[in-house]
Formats: sequence, structure tokens, C-alpha cells
Amino acid sequence: MIEIRGLGKSFVGQDGGTVEALHDVDLDVVENEFLTVLGPSGCGKTTLLKCIAGLIPWNEGDIVIDGTPVRGPGPDRSMVFQNFALLPWATVLDNVGFGLRLRGVGRAEREERARSLIDVVGLSGFETKRPHELSGGMQQRVGIARALAVQPSVLLMDEPFGAVDEQTRRLLQEELLSIWEQHRLTVVFITHSMEEAVLLGDRVVLMSARPGRIAEIVPVPLQRPRSNDVGALERSGAYVEITAYLWDRLREMHEEHRPSEVAG
Amino acid sequence: MTLAAADRAARRAPRGRSGPRTGKQPGALGRLLGSSLPYQLVTFVAFAAAWEVYATVWGGLLIPSFTETVHATIGLLVSAELWAAMYVSNQALALGFAIAVLIGVPAGIVLGRFRWLERFADVYLNILLVTPMAAIIPLLVMSLGFGLASRVVLVAIFSIVMVVVNSRAGVRQVDPSLIEMARSFGATERQIWTRVLLPGAMPAIMTGIRLGVGRAVTGMVIVELLMVSAALGGLILEYRGLFKAASLYGTIVIILAEALLLISAARWAERRLTGWAQTDSARSAR
Ligand SMILES: Nc1ncnc2c1ncn2[C@@H]1O[C@H](COP(=O)(O)OP(=O)(O)OP(=O)(O)O)[C@@H](O)[C@H]1O
Ligand SMILES: [Mg+2]
Repeated sequence: MIEIRGLGKSFVGQDGGTVEALHDVDLDVVENEFLTVLGPSGCGKTTLLKCIAGLIPWNEGDIVIDGTPVRGPGPDRSMVFQNFALLPWATVLDNVGFGLRLRGVGRAEREERARSLIDVVGLSGFETKRPHELSGGMQQRVGIARALAVQPSVLLMDEPFGAVDEQTRRLLQEELLSIWEQHRLTVVFITHSMEEAVLLGDRVVLMSARPGRIAEIVPVPLQRPRSNDVGALERSGAYVEITAYLWDRLREMHEEHRPSEVAG
Repeated sequence: MTLAAADRAARRAPRGRSGPRTGKQPGALGRLLGSSLPYQLVTFVAFAAAWEVYATVWGGLLIPSFTETVHATIGLLVSAELWAAMYVSNQALALGFAIAVLIGVPAGIVLGRFRWLERFADVYLNILLVTPMAAIIPLLVMSLGFGLASRVVLVAIFSIVMVVVNSRAGVRQVDPSLIEMARSFGATERQIWTRVLLPGAMPAIMTGIRLGVGRAVTGMVIVELLMVSAALGGLILEYRGLFKAASLYGTIVIILAEALLLISAARWAERRLTGWAQTDSARSAR
């Protein structure tokens, strides 16, 4: 369970001015929940995720995970990056085992665990390949396997499928769903896509910009498991309705900011 | 640095995975023509012939013909005198270059990671880059004497710039998101250095070492010519004094050969150690 209370974060820009990236964010993420976060560009989604990851300090408020306040990165959390962030010099096997290696897990155990996760993400046979020999979708599979290899209880994903093509993205979404259905872990998943937010999430957190805050939390009452029939799900009334609603809200947010953009 | 990068990209180009691929594998002859060796041979033969003709028609005491030079080179290679000189010269080369690498690589890495150090170091790096090194030789002799120490220091000064500048660039090229990724998995500062920064900077460090070797050989010869007239430089001066033009040319040929050999070795090591970077930067270049 992740409890975020009154979280505030400001950046000091190069010109010396401050940008308020997050303002008074309150959020509870339930154990084993799949939470998706949606919002316009620059509303502080990445900042929120990095705070939960313990990668950046914040100015106000608290983040508590299972009763322990977050003070920095921890073994209970791992992250999947939009740009994959794979080590270009390391093989798939070594990339997947990287987190374990940093934690001092011995070679034999490390490789065994890495292999089993390579199998989970469907990359068996590619163990000795290097990232540049893989397609974008395959690279992100490596990123997901690496994050799962350390057996986190919370998986933090920052637009993980933003850099892959539409078809690959759909396959990855289905696979992520089925991995999550089997492994049961808490996921915080950031996305730009309303469809993706609804398809994957138990709840969609809608954020608004300037300053970044939570505008609304929309529950997604679609049945689980979803991985086996994504197509039917996408044609269902509830799915269409929620996606349309999310788009209405997002458009309102964009319009709020439009006058100043025209004037400027 | 840009040269080095262009050079690396060029070597990589034929292996690129993107362009259209011809169906048929080139045969042995095709491969030979594809490599630069035949062209190098052709230019070399033309050069040797022109040299031979020029030396026999216009040459005098001071310009040996190509065949005379070859003879003298072989003669030198079997003489004890040359190998004694080689030994002494290379002592300075090996020690000086080792110092340049041992100091230059860590210095470059630290400069790359902590940018504020730049303000202190830039002046000195620029001085090292632009100062005519010959000018500091008298200074070295005054403080260190005519012995090995002066030669070692000069070789080190000559080559260290390339090592520092390239190592620094290498660390800067490392994608900051990799550091963030490592931190998210709980990497300590030490692990970030050993597992991310060093391996990521390796290709550039190796390039710096390769370029540094060339500069080190230059430094070795210059210091011997200008300062201590020892070893190989001493031989050159001696043959000049005796008007033994063929031997003079032969010595130079041998020095060139050594430099080429060292650079090839460095290039080989570079490729062995950092094969991953080849396709990688070809990709970022397009
Ligand atoms: N290191 C930083 N220094 C200064 N300002 C920053 C920094 N990181 C983020 N910001 C600012 O904070 C705000 C939120 O940024 P953030 O990256 O969290 O947005 P985001 O919602 O992830 O955007 P996107 O959807 O484009 O990824 C933006 O206005 C951004 O300019
Ligand atoms: Mg972002």
C-alpha cells in the first residue's frame, strides 16, 4: 500500500524561477492494484513517479509504503523507463540481471532468475544479444524483465510503451496484463493514452497541469482478467464510455490553457 | 575528438545493419578489392618508383634511392646499435605513456563527471594542447637533467592530453538515464562508477589511448632530437652528421613502422574491448 499525503515538489529553473511540478497531491495505491496515471504533458506525472521511486527529493508531504516512509530507492520498488535505459554494452542476460547484480546476488542465482524472466517476457533465445540487435518492443521486454527480476512489490512504469509502434504496443499491453494477473504486484503506470489507461487500470488518476495536481480519480469497472479478450473489452459500452469521459476532461484541461497560448 | 568519432563511424559503416543488403556474398577477390589493402599497395608502389627515379636522376649524397634505403633499413635491423637505441627510446616511451594513461584516464573521468572542475582544469588542458612542446624541453632539462626522467616526462606530457580529453568526453557521452536507472535499482556511487560510467566511457577511453600512442612516439623522438641526443634521436643526428643518408632514412622508416604497429595494436584492442559501441553509435549517427 502506497500512501501519498500532501506531496509538493518545486523545481528551480535555470533562470532562477521556480516551477511547481506537484501541488498537494494525495493518493492511496492499494496493494496489488493496477493504477494508471493520465494527464497532459508537463503535468508532473514523471515527477510523481520519481518521488515514489525515491529518485528525487520533494519539498512537502510524505510518501509511505507499507508503513515505511520513502527515503530513497528501495528493493521493494523497481522502475521501467520510457527510453528503456538498457546498458548498450551488456547482453540481454546481463541487462536483466543488472538489478540483482547491484544487490550482490551471486552469478548462478542471478542468471537463473534472469533466464526465467527472459522466458516470462518471451525473449528466450535472445540471451546473448545486445540491445542494439533488438527491436524497440523487445528492448522494453528486457526493461520489464529487469524490473521484475528484483521481485519488487511495486512496479513503477513511466510511459513504458510510448516509444514503440502501435501493434507492438498492443501486444505488450496484453502481455503486461497477463504478467500482472499471474504475479500480483502493485503497478503505477503512466501514460498519455486514454485507451491504455482504461484498458490496463483498476483506476485512472487524472492529473491537471500548472501546478500538477490530481483532478479526479476515475474507477474502471471492467471485469478481470482482461488479458485473454482485449478486443471484446474494447468494444464494450463501459470501455467506450470511460474513454470518452476521460477525453472530455482532458480537452477541458487543454482548453483552459489555450487562451494564454494564443495570447503568447 | 571529432576526427576520432568520424574515423570510428567510418570503420563501422560497412557493417551497418540498416541499408539494403545485396543478396550475394562477395567472393575472395571481391573482399580483397573491397578492403583498402590493394589501393594502399598501389600507391606505395607508385611512391617507391617515383622516389627511385627521382633519387637516381637528381639525387646526390643527401637523397638515397628507395633501394638504398631498403638495404640500409635491413642493415639497421640486424645491427646491435639499432636495438640498443630502440631499447633506450622505448623505455621512455613505455614509462611515459604508462604514466599518461594512469593519470590521464582517471583525471578525464573525474573531469567528465564533475563539471565544475572544468573551470580549474581547462586552462591547463588548453596549454597542453596548444603549447609548442619543443619550447618546454629546455625547462625540463633544467629541472630534471638530461636523463631518463626528462624524456619520460616529455612523453607523458605529449600524450596525456589526448587521453584526458577523450576520457572526459567518454564519461559525458554516457546517457544520464542509465545513471538514473542504476540509482533506481539502488546502485551506490561506487557501483555507478564501475558498472555504468566506466564501461560506458570505454570506447572513448580506448580512442584516447590510440591517439595518445601516436603522440607519445612523436614526443619520444622530439625529445631525443632536441634535448638529449639519446637513442633513436641520437642515431638520426649521428647519421646526419656523417652524411649517411640511407641509414638516416632507414632509422626514420623504422620509427614510422613502430608507430604504425603500436597504433594498430591499440586499434585492435579498442575493437576487442568495445565492439558493442560500433553498431551503437552508427545508430545514433543516423
Ligand atoms: N529537473 C527539472 N528541472 C526543472 N524543471 C523540471 C525538471 N523536471 C521537470 N520539471 C518541470 O516540472 C514539470 C513537470 O514535469 P514532468 O516531467 O513531471 O511532467 P510529465 O507529466 O511527466 O510530462 P510528460 O507527459 O511530457 O512526460 C514540467 O513543467 C517540467 O518542466
Ligand atoms: Mg514524463
